[in-house]
Amino acid sequence: MNRPRTWPAHVLLTVGALVMLAPFAWQVVVSLQTLPDSLRLPPKFTPSWQWSNFGDVFRSVPLARQFLNTVVVAAVVTAGQLLLCSLAAYAFARLRFPGRGAVFLLFLAVLMVPGELFIIPRYEIMQGLGWLNTLQALIAPGVFGAFGTFLLRQFFRTLPRELDEAARLDGANPLQIYWHIMLPLVRPGLLALGLLTVMWSWSSLLWPLVVNTDPEMMTLSAGLASLRGQFQTNFPILFAGSVVASLPVIALFVVLQRHLIAGITFTGSKG
Amino acid sequence: MRFRLPLAGLLGLAVLAAGCGSSGEPAADGKVTISYAIWDKNDQPSAEKIIAAFQQANPAVTVKLEITPWDQYWTKLQTAASGGAAPDVFWMNSLNVGMYAEGGIIAPLDESKAEGLPEAVVDGYRHDGKLYALPHNVSIPALWYDKKIFDAAGVKYPTADWTWDDVKAAAEKLTDPAKKQFGILAPMWDQGGFYNTMIQAGGHVLSPDRKKSGFDDPASIQGLEFWTGLIKDRVAPVAQVYTDTDPIQLFQSGKYGMYYGGVWFASTYWANPEIRERIDVAPLPKGPAREAVILLGLANAVSAKSEHPQESAAFAEFVSSEPAQKILSASGGGALSARPGTQDGWFEAFPSWHLKETYDASMPHGVPYPATLNTAQWQDVQNKLLAEAWAGRRPVADVAKEIAAQMNEILAKE
Amino acid sequence: MLSKREWAWGYLLIAPMALGLAVFYLWPIAQTLYLSFTESGVFGGYTWVGTANFTELLGDEEVLGALGNTLLYAVLVMAGVPLSIVVAALLNVPGLRGLSVYRTLYFLPVVTMPAAVGLTWRYLFNGDFGAINYLLGEVGIDGPYWVGDPDFAIYAIAIVGIWSTIGYNAVLLLAGLQGIPRPYYEAASIDGAGRLRQFFRITLPLLTPTTFFVVVITMINALQVFDLVYLMVDLKGPALSGSRTIVYLFFEKGFVQNQRGLAAAIAVLLLGLILVLTAIQFRLQKKWVHYE
Repeated sequence: MNRPRTWPAHVLLTVGALVMLAPFAWQVVVSLQTLPDSLRLPPKFTPSWQWSNFGDVFRSVPLARQFLNTVVVAAVVTAGQLLLCSLAAYAFARLRFPGRGAVFLLFLAVLMVPGELFIIPRYEIMQGLGWLNTLQALIAPGVFGAFGTFLLRQFFRTLPRELDEAARLDGANPLQIYWHIMLPLVRPGLLALGLLTVMWSWSSLLWPLVVNTDPEMMTLSAGLASLRGQFQTNFPILFAGSVVASLPVIALFVVLQRHLIAGITFTGSKG
Repeated sequence: MRFRLPLAGLLGLAVLAAGCGSSGEPAADGKVTISYAIWDKNDQPSAEKIIAAFQQANPAVTVKLEITPWDQYWTKLQTAASGGAAPDVFWMNSLNVGMYAEGGIIAPLDESKAEGLPEAVVDGYRHDGKLYALPHNVSIPALWYDKKIFDAAGVKYPTADWTWDDVKAAAEKLTDPAKKQFGILAPMWDQGGFYNTMIQAGGHVLSPDRKKSGFDDPASIQGLEFWTGLIKDRVAPVAQVYTDTDPIQLFQSGKYGMYYGGVWFASTYWANPEIRERIDVAPLPKGPAREAVILLGLANAVSAKSEHPQESAAFAEFVSSEPAQKILSASGGGALSARPGTQDGWFEAFPSWHLKETYDASMPHGVPYPATLNTAQWQDVQNKLLAEAWAGRRPVADVAKEIAAQMNEILAKE
Repeated sequence: MLSKREWAWGYLLIAPMALGLAVFYLWPIAQTLYLSFTESGVFGGYTWVGTANFTELLGDEEVLGALGNTLLYAVLVMAGVPLSIVVAALLNVPGLRGLSVYRTLYFLPVVTMPAAVGLTWRYLFNGDFGAINYLLGEVGIDGPYWVGDPDFAIYAIAIVGIWSTIGYNAVLLLAGLQGIPRPYYEAASIDGAGRLRQFFRITLPLLTPTTFFVVVITMINALQVFDLVYLMVDLKGPALSGSRTIVYLFFEKGFVQNQRGLAAAIAVLLLGLILVLTAIQFRLQKKWVHYE
């Protein structure tokens, strides 16, 4: 087979990539403009190096605090998901017990229900516990997930049977087998789930918006939304906040994109 | 093979989760702490100074300031109030005071402490004959204008004697389609815009007994048509412009001659050096029937469930007292103090503008911002229907009559 | 005996997750169903009102408007799937260098916080100062007030919706493309079929199982759009009537107006909508999806 030309594909893909990237570039430019510059006709396409926008945004909302909140929530939620999902997934994939199929079906059913159905009762649970405006209100529901269990179960199922049997003969109990033998083998799955969880946790808006109304306890997503309420259409300040909020995840993604994409592809092919 | 359990990890997680919350507070030693909730970040510096002054006079009381952005303020307050945990003292506006008074969430206050405060504002906080909150600031709508645009068109600056006709005439002269320049902004805004003109034309928003809508009064309709007329005559931009960009910022782009804004925009505009030089402010022009300026003031309410009702009431009273009002003015922030004679510090913060003249000319013509128990509900109707008139899809008169009909239904249920 | 112990381990290991799911997922579902038949008081408390919420919702213009907006949005975003197929097909061109660079760039919008994305686009769509209308003006088109006009807002949001899902869908579709066995193409090219012809005769039909999956996922996500509406539209202006979605309405009723019972009913309505539309999709797939 002769090698086909690839330059037409390059041209098209580059044009598309520019469209994908343009809003980000524009965001960075405007985050460095003064307010009057951002309201010029025709638009000014160059920055005016107004670095003070970044200072202003940190002063007008507790952005540093919100950044920390977001990191803590994402970290604890991800750690929790990885541990709890992998435990359950391992049991579903490798252990036999009565009711396994039925319980797993229940897990799958949860996956089908839109998230909005959980919000009001969860809000009332948090209210009852006196957890409104706390980080644990953001963390507690997040560490449990049917999706993660489902995803990791698929990974556990691909491992050969002989592995458990050999370890069992050595006298290991299922928890030991899980920790020492199985978990290291599903590392790609854990990595994918971990990345997905960080990103979901980082981005989610509706629940944080509802449950934590105190700016000190907000995540960046909700903080940006309330910044909009405060600055209406003062875009330089809003964009300075946006840049700060989105940069870490973009960086994380660029470094680890291979693993994330492998995970997403996996869900797609097994869906 | 040696196996260790991952239990340590599990435990660590549990500890981490538990450690995120709950900070036990030690019991108080005769000292009293009360909480004070506000929504405007711009008022933080002045609020802190006022608290310091209050604590100096009342060493046994500590006031804790809580700032919640407007978007979350009412939801948070309502949730807290449902759980019986509302802040001891909190900002209230005249739209919500009825609901909170009716719900038994806020306690009536000593009427005598409101003496001397502008009656148009104080009256907004009365419910069933009792005063439920003490006003501490006042919002006055005013006419901002761009001197540079006036100069270029050779039009004289607005004065306290201006009428609607003067506004229209000036707007026409200032409009220049080639430069995408408009004489005036005409956003659909009640407080600074059409409520004023409805009353200036001799109409009303609510009947004096607050039981009937005034939107179907021909004079009220005239007041609304003042605005839609400006858009129709193309001396003001079309309705969508204002939803796309906040009019407060639009005005700063230097393409609009006049803007019915609020004196409280002063600190925002002053912060922009380019704008500081080119704009000034005048009182609202007179209408065909009368002069009228909608006054809306914020007030402090005291929780009915407060554990320290006396200290809380004392603090609310202090915020509206002369010394505290002077502190508020001197900070030169967004808010204009409510008590007459305490504003000098504020005027001095913006020396080149005619704010004192505007204040003096406006206060005698103050009318209360219209509100009932279900204000939010009928304002929702008002805004949805008026949007169609502003967009030019339906005649103002039609829309106004429909608003009146729906509003009367809502008012009848109160 | 061994199996008895295995049972115990099984239950022990799923216990934490099952407990959490019961508290934060299953119980809320039941509770929301219950609340949808109640009315909540301004300062707390619920009273049973039977089906009153549902009758109110189905007769309310605002709800029907939100339903219409949501469906329109979903259709528009699903109409963007072909774009993803094109991107995936281009990425699948044999011998293409820089695949992972392109993939990263196209995927960037997916991983960016929707709140930040929404704000950026709100500015791009600004009627007066936005770059989009400026560029349209350069080619002689007088652009509308995208997010300020109720007639255009949902289209603006859908454009962003498509932009932010192209990468995700393309990655899934690319995996599907890579699963198509090479010999099919080799056979076709021996028969003299050009690349375009191969694309329509082989690629598209064999890709349909993945395409179906992508369409269903896209639809389910689109029906739940909230973030973009919340950040792009002026929530006090007239544009909201043309862009209010079901989930926005849920938020508005439940947490702005504090009518939790009504909000619960909206959530139940959404569940019903998603189930019905997904079922229809599965019905329709027989007509166009080729399984080998």
